[in-house]
Amino acid sequence: MANLLWLQGGACSGNTMSFLNAEEPSACDLVTDFGINVLWHPSLGLELGEGVHKLLRDCVSGEIPLDIFVFEGTVVNAPNGTGNWNRFAGRPMKDWVRELSEAAQFVVAIGDCATWGGIPATAPNPSESSGMQFLKRDRGGALGAGFVSKAGLPAINIPGCPAHPDWVTQILVAVATGRAGDLKLDEFQRPATFFTSFTQTGCTRNMHFAYKVSATEFGQRKGCLFYDLGCRGPMTHSPCNRILWNRQSSKTRAGMPCLGCTEPEFPFFDLMPGTVFKTQTMMGVPKDMPTGVAKTGYIKLTAAAKAAAPAWAEQDIFVV
Amino acid sequence: MAEDSQASGADESRRETIRKLLDAGLDVEAFPRCDSHEQVQAVVRRLQGLDANDLPGRLVVAGVTNFTVEHPEAELAQPCETCMYYLVHRNYCELPELDIPVEPDWSCRLWRI
Ligand code: SF4
Ligand code: SF4
Ligand code: SF4
Repeated sequence: MANLLWLQGGACSGNTMSFLNAEEPSACDLVTDFGINVLWHPSLGLELGEGVHKLLRDCVSGEIPLDIFVFEGTVVNAPNGTGNWNRFAGRPMKDWVRELSEAAQFVVAIGDCATWGGIPATAPNPSESSGMQFLKRDRGGALGAGFVSKAGLPAINIPGCPAHPDWVTQILVAVATGRAGDLKLDEFQRPATFFTSFTQTGCTRNMHFAYKVSATEFGQRKGCLFYDLGCRGPMTHSPCNRILWNRQSSKTRAGMPCLGCTEPEFPFFDLMPGTVFKTQTMMGVPKDMPTGVAKTGYIKLTAAAKAAAPAWAEQDIFVV
Repeated sequence: MAEDSQASGADESRRETIRKLLDAGLDVEAFPRCDSHEQVQAVVRRLQGLDANDLPGRLVVAGVTNFTVEHPEAELAQPCETCMYYLVHRNYCELPELDIPVEPDWSCRLWRI
């Protein structure tokens, strides 16, 4: 039996919604089949008021062994570093976060807000938000760069806006069943099994990417969304086209550009007008290249690929 | 098939109209090229403000030329042929605000690769 406590800071509850939609295993399966004991969760917990307060104190003191501490949302530090804009159970949430993280065997940060600060930490970051161990790409965050939990791991970062339910449940099951040692984390403490490939890996528009055929408007079934509509699939680490959403589809399959939500800089360009759903170019060349591709190589490849594009690549082949 | 050949016939006659306009020296705004996102947006907004039937207006605002323009600073040739909006097999510009038949060696300032 592994005790799990889930708290929310500066959050929209999107990751909770995503988690509650999990299938195979579902949130209930985690309890019945994988021995996870949910001590408390903002949407599921039964205790109120003093009951929650006591539970948290007991977790901090060790009276209740805390195996997994899950945090969703940013750690809010406003105003002036006090954290009083986000008080919970009688004190700033940031104080609970620090003490519970120190008491837990494992700390899991879920969603962009908890991992890197996400949308709340977008400039000018009025809530002085940060992630657990990062603020955007900078190490540190609420727990500090050197933090490791009792089991010797840093916070396990599962980014996404929101994170896919399977990313959450598979990591929780691995930790709860004693297989945390198998987890390989990347430089941003993301489980490498999910965040090594790209959103583009498995996208149905890959052939349009290869032959440089562009979608020019939403709703077109042909064409790649990288060239005009701002798709970040080639430079975003996520398994969105390998582990499908609702087991059905993905943004890019449905014709919606990837916004790069699993990367620390999300939302990109600080959401300046005209930067969302539009590929940013400089002298006609994309500012952000597919990962690992140099500008001159890209230009040469594009010209050659376009010249070689077969006629079918320019037509809608997803016939209904 | 019949529809395809009708479309290519219509493309060809519109291409001919455009060719004649450009050959006759239509004074298009080929410069400055749209280097920044803001410049792209400004030109696109002007195109959106034109009457849907104003073909010469579209050519002028987008700076369509019947030859390839080399970007002066980037030293980068900007032909339709390599542009993301260009359909190779139809010789067609699919930029919604332009939506015109072109030739591979033509060019305009909204070129993007
Ligand atoms: S739509 Fe996006 S993810 Fe798909 S092939 Fe194009 S750039 Fe890649
Ligand atoms: S497709 Fe991109 S924006 Fe959408 S969930 Fe996946 S990584 Fe995030
Ligand atoms: S947008 Fe591209 S294809 Fe269209 S006219 Fe300009 S350069 Fe040619």
